[in-house]
Amino acid sequence: MNILVLLAGVADNRYPLHELSLTSDGALQESGQTRRILSPFDEGALELALKLRDKNDAVRIDALVMAGPNEEALAKSVAAYKPDSLKVFSLNHTNLWDSVMASSQIATYVKTRNPRPDLVFIGREFGDLDEGSIPVLLAGELGLPYFSLTQYAEWQGDDVRLMRERGLRREWLTLKDSCLATVTNDKRNKLRHPLMKNVMVAKRQTIETAHQASADHGRVVAKELAEPKMVSRTGQCEMLAGSVQEQAQTIARYLKQIKA
Amino acid sequence: MEPVNLESRVVGVIPSAWGIESAESVVAALQAVGHGPGGFDVIVVGSRHQEEILNIASHSGANSVYRLGGDQTDCAAPEAVAHALGQLLTGSELATRNRLLLTPPGPEGEELAAGLAFHLNGQALGRSLSVQLTETGVRVERLVWGGRKRVTLALDSGLAVACLRSGKPALESKAGSASLHTIDTKIDRLPGFTVEVEETGESLPPVESCKLVISGGRGVGEEGFGILKQIARTTEGALGGSLPAVDAGMVPVGRQVGISGKFVNPELYFAVGISGTPQHMAGISTETRIIAVNKDPEAPIFSVAEAGVVGEWQVLLPEVLKALEA
Repeated sequence: MNILVLLAGVADNRYPLHELSLTSDGALQESGQTRRILSPFDEGALELALKLRDKNDAVRIDALVMAGPNEEALAKSVAAYKPDSLKVFSLNHTNLWDSVMASSQIATYVKTRNPRPDLVFIGREFGDLDEGSIPVLLAGELGLPYFSLTQYAEWQGDDVRLMRERGLRREWLTLKDSCLATVTNDKRNKLRHPLMKNVMVAKRQTIETAHQASADHGRVVAKELAEPKMVSRTGQCEMLAGSVQEQAQTIARYLKQIKA
Repeated sequence: MEPVNLESRVVGVIPSAWGIESAESVVAALQAVGHGPGGFDVIVVGSRHQEEILNIASHSGANSVYRLGGDQTDCAAPEAVAHALGQLLTGSELATRNRLLLTPPGPEGEELAAGLAFHLNGQALGRSLSVQLTETGVRVERLVWGGRKRVTLALDSGLAVACLRSGKPALESKAGSASLHTIDTKIDRLPGFTVEVEETGESLPPVESCKLVISGGRGVGEEGFGILKQIARTTEGALGGSLPAVDAGMVPVGRQVGISGKFVNPELYFAVGISGTPQHMAGISTETRIIAVNKDPEAPIFSVAEAGVVGEWQVLLPEVLKALEA
């Protein structure tokens, strides 16, 4: 089984954002010290692939890491998990907020790969600029059925099973054909720590870059990049006074009012 | 199938199987975006909650309401709804004019928006903070980089599909002049999978449709979430959590509140051990009142809460439960 894992990376939210601006034609410029790490969704996608390979030597993991700031360090953090192949993937003329163009370019590249993937794992949001459109559109472009919000994967005999929970239902899909599955954060797919010896090997590894060019510049144009607006709320926070029991009584009154 | 030709430039999509709150959120978004000349139309897919949803749509100020009925239209899966609507609308003038489709907000609505964009050769603009029609296209604002930046995107022509969170709709007391069209259709085989289904054992109401949400952060721990769950049961509230709490397995991902999780619009949000990051607050309606408990007096949640306690949850929560049960 060939599993393709697509990894976008996100800016590490433990640090201030690097410098970001738009050019006059709406292209994104990034500068300054950039720390990009795998998102919780990226990590889940990689971990599910690793889990399946742990139990079956016939699984091959191909990983593509999106090009961008800090790409070498990000790719090497993935290399420490020893995917069977790893490339940095560069899209020309694309910002990931143009989900149609980005998914089309990714699909064009994936279609040229041999062998074609039996299973594609991708985070439910693909990086800092996507809100979940890219995986859906990519599945369409690749002509693959789409299973969303996967939380866990396992082998059952010769078959792979994917699991997701929706409210009162836990759904198990037994894969019979190729599929694209988005992965969401879950305790069961939290990314393991790599072995230190593999981290050291990865640091010395040379990572190849694949390019996918396009003459198309897309239809969605960024006009402004700004700080988020402050949301106005009415909260004039009253700090509750008194003993713990009195504070608890007051909170209970708030909660009971709503119940009533 | 005969193509459907819609009158208005803005069109809302309501999958009836997604419930009444979902229908209301689409109507609120339509009223926010399509209040200008030209107005808006509504497409209701399926027959679940038919009376209530058609009532909401016909009191919304829409020009026309289309009900798509027939075999398989009560489907709930976003890919199936997108496929069904794709069949109905492909070949219509929809994709050749500068139109805007609005789907329900939330992860499933965003999935539906992208699916519709694929089937109708449109552009998915996704989860938007604001949507504005321009002379020939659409402008949207979106949060990016985990809520730390805001980008304004423009699409100058063609079909756009987006989601917008706009609170509650303003419904007219009398049905307006919306004309109602029923389209019985036969959908080809729907996409999707045959899945085995188990019960999760979940018994609390969903977080996105409850008027009281009891929510915790990772610092609350398994033990604290146990007490929060009891408080939720006692108050008939819904249990929610932050992304780190979900990552740690303390609360299911379907209960995650925030930019990558559910958007909630309860009357009251009880936030315990939640600092109030922009990523989390983006999932809470500005109309919602917040009561916060946090051991850090500088936590940003206190700047938006109505009332708060600086203290340890281990001490306070058992007392809150005791007070509720008294």
